[in-house]
Amino acid sequence: MQLLVKAVRNRPGRAWLAVGGVATSSLLVIALVATLRGAANSVVAYVGQDGADLWITPPGADHFLRLSGVLPAVLTDSVRALPGVAGADFILRAFVAVSSRRGGDRLRLTLYGVGYHAPDGVGGPPAFESGRPPHTRREVALDRAAARRLGVGLDDTVFVNGRAARAVGLTKGTNLLVTQFIFADAAAIEATSGFAGRASFIIVRLAPGAHSDTVAALIRERFPDVGVFDRATFVANSQRETGVGYTPILAFVDMLGVGAAAVLVALLIHALVEGRRTELAVLLALGAAPRTLARVMIGEATRLIVAGGVLGAVLARLLALVLDRVFPVIPLHFDLRDTMWALALLIACGILASSIPIARLGRVDALEAFRP
Amino acid sequence: MTVLVLDGVSKTRGGGAHATQALRDASLSVAQGEVVLLEGASGAGKTTLLAVAAGLLTPDAGRVLLAGRSLAELSPAERRRHRARVVGFVFQRSNLLEQLTVWENVLLMALLAGRPSGEARRATNEVFEQLDIGHLAPRGSGELSGGEEQRVGVARALVHRPALVLADEPTGNLDGASGGVVAEALATCAKARGAAVLVATHDARLEPFATRRVPIVDGRLGEGRSPQ
Repeated sequence: MQLLVKAVRNRPGRAWLAVGGVATSSLLVIALVATLRGAANSVVAYVGQDGADLWITPPGADHFLRLSGVLPAVLTDSVRALPGVAGADFILRAFVAVSSRRGGDRLRLTLYGVGYHAPDGVGGPPAFESGRPPHTRREVALDRAAARRLGVGLDDTVFVNGRAARAVGLTKGTNLLVTQFIFADAAAIEATSGFAGRASFIIVRLAPGAHSDTVAALIRERFPDVGVFDRATFVANSQRETGVGYTPILAFVDMLGVGAAAVLVALLIHALVEGRRTELAVLLALGAAPRTLARVMIGEATRLIVAGGVLGAVLARLLALVLDRVFPVIPLHFDLRDTMWALALLIACGILASSIPIARLGRVDALEAFRP
Repeated sequence: MTVLVLDGVSKTRGGGAHATQALRDASLSVAQGEVVLLEGASGAGKTTLLAVAAGLLTPDAGRVLLAGRSLAELSPAERRRHRARVVGFVFQRSNLLEQLTVWENVLLMALLAGRPSGEARRATNEVFEQLDIGHLAPRGSGELSGGEEQRVGVARALVHRPALVLADEPTGNLDGASGGVVAEALATCAKARGAAVLVATHDARLEPFATRRVPIVDGRLGEGRSPQ
């Protein structure tokens, strides 16, 4: 069997070409999924932070990302007074225009502004790459990818809705791909957004021993017009919402990538069968079983796909490392299960596609071995 | 002992307007130790006869007995296994597999014939020694001359000690000296191993090694005669 495998194996140049092609498709598929994961993970990092045991939302909102309503900020005090509540803080979330002046150019972005009780209130940055939380209304902490896009670093000046502020922190895990977070004191966001006296969410920290369901029920009873969600539900809802816009597009492009890899492998096996007709005819004449040859061909197809798939997965990891250091605007987060799924899909489609040319083995006539 | 019996075999090749009667009521017996030359012009039916004898083609009429078994009574898989065990092939082109070394090409045949790995290796070494081609063993087929390639082809045909060697114009692509060496190697080594040889050829260099010459014209076999 090993000799048969060696006898019908592709020439190294052609094999490497195929592996490269499959690796590119694999890279595309895995990187796209990792991009979605990266954005979803940022939501999880923020929404799932310690101290955020319950989320109170405006009516109709069940996730963090998109909402049109607001809550009265004074509701925070009423919630804070409820039994089982150790603490409650509101955050004000509003899209803000952030710009910088760098080298004479004015760079402008629309960012996800989050106003919280800086510097230590709940709802602040989940993690820092460098720097610290804002302490005054004239300070902000912004996502490191946003800082890069704006061309600013620590201690540089940015303009939030036209008001100057100093960037005192660069945050990480706060990149939603299409936009990024900027954190400021709630009063600063109120002043720049016109939402004075309003809150987007109220975040509740439970007292030790208090049960989230009990406290949530109490809040709903006292304030029937608001939504109340425990952390796990709010995280799951926000993750779902992250994918709503992207998933169909990513799935479509992923399918194209898998399709391209499958067609590539099928073409290669087709070329292998056609290019090795004489060798295959000789092997059939000498007594090799057609089924064994088909198995060898499927093995060759699998070898190429697995090699290309794994190479693509490794390249995707390298790409993530490079992007993280050089261009963090695209957040890639890998999940082993995603990679395994992508590889399984590639292998299945590649083998399925290569079965068509392998079926052509039946047309190889052993008598071709006798042709001069 | 008779190794091959063709009894009233007919075979039409192609279909429709292109159908040609490649074999017409052909009968032939080849016994152990014989070297039979099947002589005829191109298109006379030599290759078809070899293919029918090996079970690669099924005759339209007549029967074929190969090493004591009627091919018509075997399933395709049984026919393939029987062929691998009892038939050795030498093609006009050596048809060595280019991805394999010379040694692996020969070893593969022994394995296809069903020999266990260790025995196949021993048989391969043995046939290389017998044909005095041990120095070619590690080379690729692309590194051989035409004569060397065919001597390796002969080794591949004999490694599994087949009852019958079928050779299709084995010296057709070789110059005078090389052709003579290959012809001698095929005939003497086959004889030493007790194999019968049926050679389709019109090369006179093979005649000194033949025990019988059988003409074929338009698919009909003539009377066999011993060489002068």
